[in-house]
Amino acid sequence: MMEIELKLFGAFREFEPSGSVRLIVPSDADVAALRQALDHYAQQNWGAAYKPGLLKVSAFSNDAELLRDHSRVADQKGLALLPPVSGG
Amino acid sequence: MSGNIQTQVLAITEQRLNPASALEFVSDPAFGGQCQFVGRVRHFNHGRDVLGISYDIYAALAKNMFDEICREAEKKWGPKIKLYVGHASGRLAIGDLAVVVAAGTPHRDEAFQACRYVIEAVKHRAPIWKQEHFVDGDSQWSQGCTLCASESPVQSVELQPHLHAH
Repeated sequence: MMEIELKLFGAFREFEPSGSVRLIVPSDADVAALRQALDHYAQQNWGAAYKPGLLKVSAFSNDAELLRDHSRVADQKGLALLPPVSGG
Repeated sequence: MSGNIQTQVLAITEQRLNPASALEFVSDPAFGGQCQFVGRVRHFNHGRDVLGISYDIYAALAKNMFDEICREAEKKWGPKIKLYVGHASGRLAIGDLAVVVAAGTPHRDEAFQACRYVIEAVKHRAPIWKQEHFVDGDSQWSQGCTLCASESPVQSVELQPHLHAH
């Protein structure tokens, strides 16, 4: 198992004043497993304001590019959860 | 990044976007066309009076994404092209500049097309989140475009009318 830090943005940032969340995931976890682990954490810690539907349509990235569901989580720099974007 | 592309994420508490500097960057003696898009915070949205907008941005990834989008535009309309993308982060007031895109090319058609391509791609793909603050005290994160609709990490944005309200 390993501990990872996940940066939060947009609506998710409001759940954690620090702007990130620490999760314990298997050492070989991929993004799909991370999504499940975060959902589990959120159900337990974020209360009724947490909407699982928003997590389902959110992407994961490192600090350089988007990650795919099968991307390994270990050794990613700047791992982040990206809800639907609305720039401009 | 090549010398013909400049991209920035600017914290509004430190520096403001400057459209004149953007135009200057995309200037070139060989270029007869420049096109610029400037996005400002407006005072009314979805039938509600707006006080301001907070932009949350994953700056490192956003800059990478801006660069990538500009390289795509360069492939389509270059190599004789200069491009600028800047986006503000933090709490903006009505009228503040949120985004500036500029394109310089030998002729107007490529400048128009490249500028439109870049701003649409920025809106659809860059890791930026907008929270509107309303006069009644409520604040709301805008619904946006999901980045995980495809397994492909890069989705091209074709030139077409923007169908969303954002």
